[in-house]
Amino acid sequence: MSESPLRRAVRRNRRAVAVAALGHTLYQVCETLVPVAIGVVVDRAVATGDPAALAASVAGLAVLFAALTLSWRFGARTVVRASEHEAHLLRVEAADRALDPRAPATGLGAGELLTVATTDADRTAQALHPLTGVVGSVVGLAVAAVVLLRIDPVLGGGVLVGVPVLVAIVQVIGPVLTRRTAAQQEALARASGLAADLVRGLPALRGAGAEEQAARRYAEASAGALRGALRAAVPRGLYQGATGLAGGLLLAAVAAGAGLFALQGRISVGELITVVGLAQFLTEPVREVGYAAMELASCRASARRLEKVLHAPFRLDAGDPGAAERCGGRGTAPVELKGVGGPLGGLDLRVGPGEFVGVVCYDPADARALADVLAARVPAADHGGSYLVGGVPAEALGPEEVRARVLVEPHEADLFEGSLASNVLTGAGDGADPWPALRAAAADEVVGAVPGGLEAVVADRGTTLSGGQRQRVALARALAADPPVLVLNDPTTAVDAVTEEAVAAGLRALRHGGAPRSTVAVCSSPALLARADRVVAVAEGRVAAEGTHAGLAVSDPRYAEAVLR
Amino acid sequence: MTHMTLPVASGRRTLAVVARQVRAAGPVGPAAVAASVAANACVLAGPWALGLLVDAVAEGAGPRGVLVPAVAIAAAALAGGVLSALESVLLARTGETVLARLREAVMRRAMRLPEEELFRLAPGDLLSRVGDDVAETSRVVRERAPLVLTSLVLVVMALGGMAALDWRLGLAGACALPVHALALRWYLPKSAPMYARQRAQLGDRAQALVGTLQGAATVDAYRLRGRRTALISERSAAARDTQVGVFRLFTRFIGGMNAAEFVGLAMVLAVGFWLVADDAATVGAATAAALLFHRLFDPFGALMITFDDVQSAGASLARIAGVLDLPEPTEPDAPARPAHAGVEVRGAVHRYEGGPAVLDEVDLEVAPGERVAVVGASGAGKTTLARAVAGGLTLSGGRVLVGGAPVDRVPRAELRRHVVLVSQEAHVFAGTLADNVRLADPEAGDDRVLEALEAVGAREWALGLPDGITTAVGENGLRLTADRAQLLALARLVLADPPVAVLDEASAEAGSAGARGLERAALAATEGRTALVVAHRLPQAVEADRVVVMEAGRIVESGPHTELVARGGRYAALWSAWSDGRT
Repeated sequence: MSESPLRRAVRRNRRAVAVAALGHTLYQVCETLVPVAIGVVVDRAVATGDPAALAASVAGLAVLFAALTLSWRFGARTVVRASEHEAHLLRVEAADRALDPRAPATGLGAGELLTVATTDADRTAQALHPLTGVVGSVVGLAVAAVVLLRIDPVLGGGVLVGVPVLVAIVQVIGPVLTRRTAAQQEALARASGLAADLVRGLPALRGAGAEEQAARRYAEASAGALRGALRAAVPRGLYQGATGLAGGLLLAAVAAGAGLFALQGRISVGELITVVGLAQFLTEPVREVGYAAMELASCRASARRLEKVLHAPFRLDAGDPGAAERCGGRGTAPVELKGVGGPLGGLDLRVGPGEFVGVVCYDPADARALADVLAARVPAADHGGSYLVGGVPAEALGPEEVRARVLVEPHEADLFEGSLASNVLTGAGDGADPWPALRAAAADEVVGAVPGGLEAVVADRGTTLSGGQRQRVALARALAADPPVLVLNDPTTAVDAVTEEAVAAGLRALRHGGAPRSTVAVCSSPALLARADRVVAVAEGRVAAEGTHAGLAVSDPRYAEAVLR
Repeated sequence: MTHMTLPVASGRRTLAVVARQVRAAGPVGPAAVAASVAANACVLAGPWALGLLVDAVAEGAGPRGVLVPAVAIAAAALAGGVLSALESVLLARTGETVLARLREAVMRRAMRLPEEELFRLAPGDLLSRVGDDVAETSRVVRERAPLVLTSLVLVVMALGGMAALDWRLGLAGACALPVHALALRWYLPKSAPMYARQRAQLGDRAQALVGTLQGAATVDAYRLRGRRTALISERSAAARDTQVGVFRLFTRFIGGMNAAEFVGLAMVLAVGFWLVADDAATVGAATAAALLFHRLFDPFGALMITFDDVQSAGASLARIAGVLDLPEPTEPDAPARPAHAGVEVRGAVHRYEGGPAVLDEVDLEVAPGERVAVVGASGAGKTTLARAVAGGLTLSGGRVLVGGAPVDRVPRAELRRHVVLVSQEAHVFAGTLADNVRLADPEAGDDRVLEALEAVGAREWALGLPDGITTAVGENGLRLTADRAQLLALARLVLADPPVAVLDEASAEAGSAGARGLERAALAATEGRTALVVAHRLPQAVEADRVVVMEAGRIVESGPHTELVARGGRYAALWSAWSDGRT
């Protein structure tokens, strides 16, 4: 079993944690010494009226504050630098892992992966903060203990036992508080989720005249969140009250004891002030230790989620190193499916070199399953059949080598932020000319229609383009990549009939006019199917009919119904 | 078309909006402030009583001189505990109530935003106001506001308490204030641009991550893992460096704060020294002042550190108040009622903000019960025409009559009962499948929901889902494909049962197989209604009683499918291109 991300974060940053803890410790000691210093100054200077003592006191205070601020700065900067860098490493690692072609089975959707790569990576790395804090607090407590015990063992002992006991008692309310707070945050998150959902769907609400109803629904959710918040406020108030009360009672007891000792002359007035000051101050490091424990628990939860991504088992094998040679470089090779099951029903399909095959799936689910298999996203064990590329099994080639030969353009084409040109040339070699592909996909119109032309900025996921424009640019991208085998999924659903014709003609001319390339068009567009060399109809997951578009359209009523309607 | 952004309220308006909500919350607000003052008085009673105790020891008084202040401290602790619990609860009550009122008000207002404005808004503007701005305000009000208020009260009262011991001691403590102010004046202008840069970089980083993770299928297909990871790494590193830089600045700011603490403490001790030497004050008073000042370190720090947060919440509040301050949409002065199911468009002209005419003298009459399909290239004005007929647009010229009544004079609720628009953006709301259909009629029972689903041919599919029509869908439930989402929108139309239906490219984005199912569903859903259908795929036009062809904002052809095909015009050209591959 590999090391948990949290442990590794600590191990990778051992030095930084040690250095930061040193700085934090120094800082805590300085903070502890402030009330001590007040007592000393009152004792030595204010009570005596000695000007030289006052000057020395002020100088001493200056040194103390300089040490305090510099040690904190040094420690805090070190730990922040380390934790930010660690978070960055974890984030990149998580993203890289999620994108592994061997398909890690994380069981998480894109949104959840985003949370893991941002919030959870940050939280895991932040574990370095409480770790340095705990060290500093413990040392601060030790210094205070030494000072107190040296002033008076009885008094010091009492304070050292009393403070942790009181803090512990107050912390008992903690769990109640966290439970209610969690419920409250959940209710609030639900309400804000609902708000975002309703605003996104506002045009649909408008069309249906449901906006008033939606506002009422939100008001109900908001009122629920308010009730939760008010319930959580009571334990929080009790907690705050109890903290104050405990601190005050401790102060009263220490003041009475130290005062009586001072009256007896067992301790000086300055020592009285120091003891009282320390008693007030001590609650802080004690509470910090308890807080650090809570923080670490939450960091651990994030680390576990991160681990699910970083250590997710792969669903696919990387393939055999020698397999690529057996399949003969990356030129056009036959692609063959034999008895592919799973969601399909034992599909056989062969696409010869240079062939243009249309595939009509009567059930859209079959089309999706077929695309997944061709894209080498499904382990052979899951479909039970075989998928051969150039005569070599896909699992032997491995997903990377399969995808180098077979490009399956997803139907939900995602463009990435950048220029139109950079998107079109995503899969093309350096210095490639985008225009033949653009023209074949009728995307040259898109270039003409957007301000900036080829250099026009495309937002992430292509949201600055219309559905039809996006689809044509994605098709141009697939064509520009010029893969030996290209699999298209319903590539013309968002374009009008005239454009669809042009695309079908352009596609045929570009891929099957010169160098032999294979193309599979999974669609029900007659324009595309009519230009295919051969059409395969798939029903219930296996081949139901095969022939040319024109032939099937006449001879096969089911085909005609599906394609021509 | 240029995008608009919603207004941002001025500081004064923002304060007025908040003050109104605080007043509306009743006496809780003032009570919270009173509790805070009383609780902090108890907190400060501690150091003050300690001063008396030190004096008693210095004067060599009896044990009574020690025990009385000690008992006073205990009593103050008791009262302070109760009061601070009360303070916390009352503050939360005020803050949460005000927050709830604000977020409900902004949502109510957002829901009533006129269509036209909604259409022109920069994408995400409204969403960020009801989402991010409400969240940011809530966070600060919940986590920071109690701390800020308590700290403020404590600082004022402690300085006052020191002045009560001796006015010169109060003055000495106040010497810290200008140093604090200097630190803030140095820090804020330097940090603001860095924070802005950080936010932008975090946005870029998130965008690279979201784009990559959501486009994972494309990343796989084009083997872009290396490139995308490099991009994410680059952006993440940039954000990290800025974050570290921001923190370096912050540590120097804290240095300024520590300097202020030193100046204040040294001044208090020096003035105490001088007053004691002059017999103007006791050692106890000087001690109490120094201890009081030491008590101020934390609240001073809290005020300084939360300054950013308070500013940022202020900015968010101003954006929320900007939405609340929008004028309410008005109902027509002389309301008109539709008398029949016909639709008439007369001389309709429309341009978006002085741009070219998107509708150019359009005349169209749709008889009750008639189904008209609108065909044309994108940008021909089809969607604009559909929106105008549904009353979601104020035309630049000409008019639209529904059932003989001018569409802009029909009261909104009435118009929604009469005309329903099914738009391009099918949205699946988080909730059950039935809830999604029921949006059109909250009163409808399961049987009517099922009837509506049946009408669009989705009953079998719905009942086959894991929990039937109570299956959770949308954001946190089952993800539906675009064509299923459109089916739900059509089922809503059936449930709403309006005399007039406007369908805008309802099947444009669906896969081909789904598109045919949708075409059938659209046909069924508009059965018996007057229907204006923006047809993206020609089969929709074949089924219509009449086809109108639009080009550059004008209607260039109009007539039944067969007649237009026979005429050999533009529609005939489209039709032959489409049907070539089909025979």
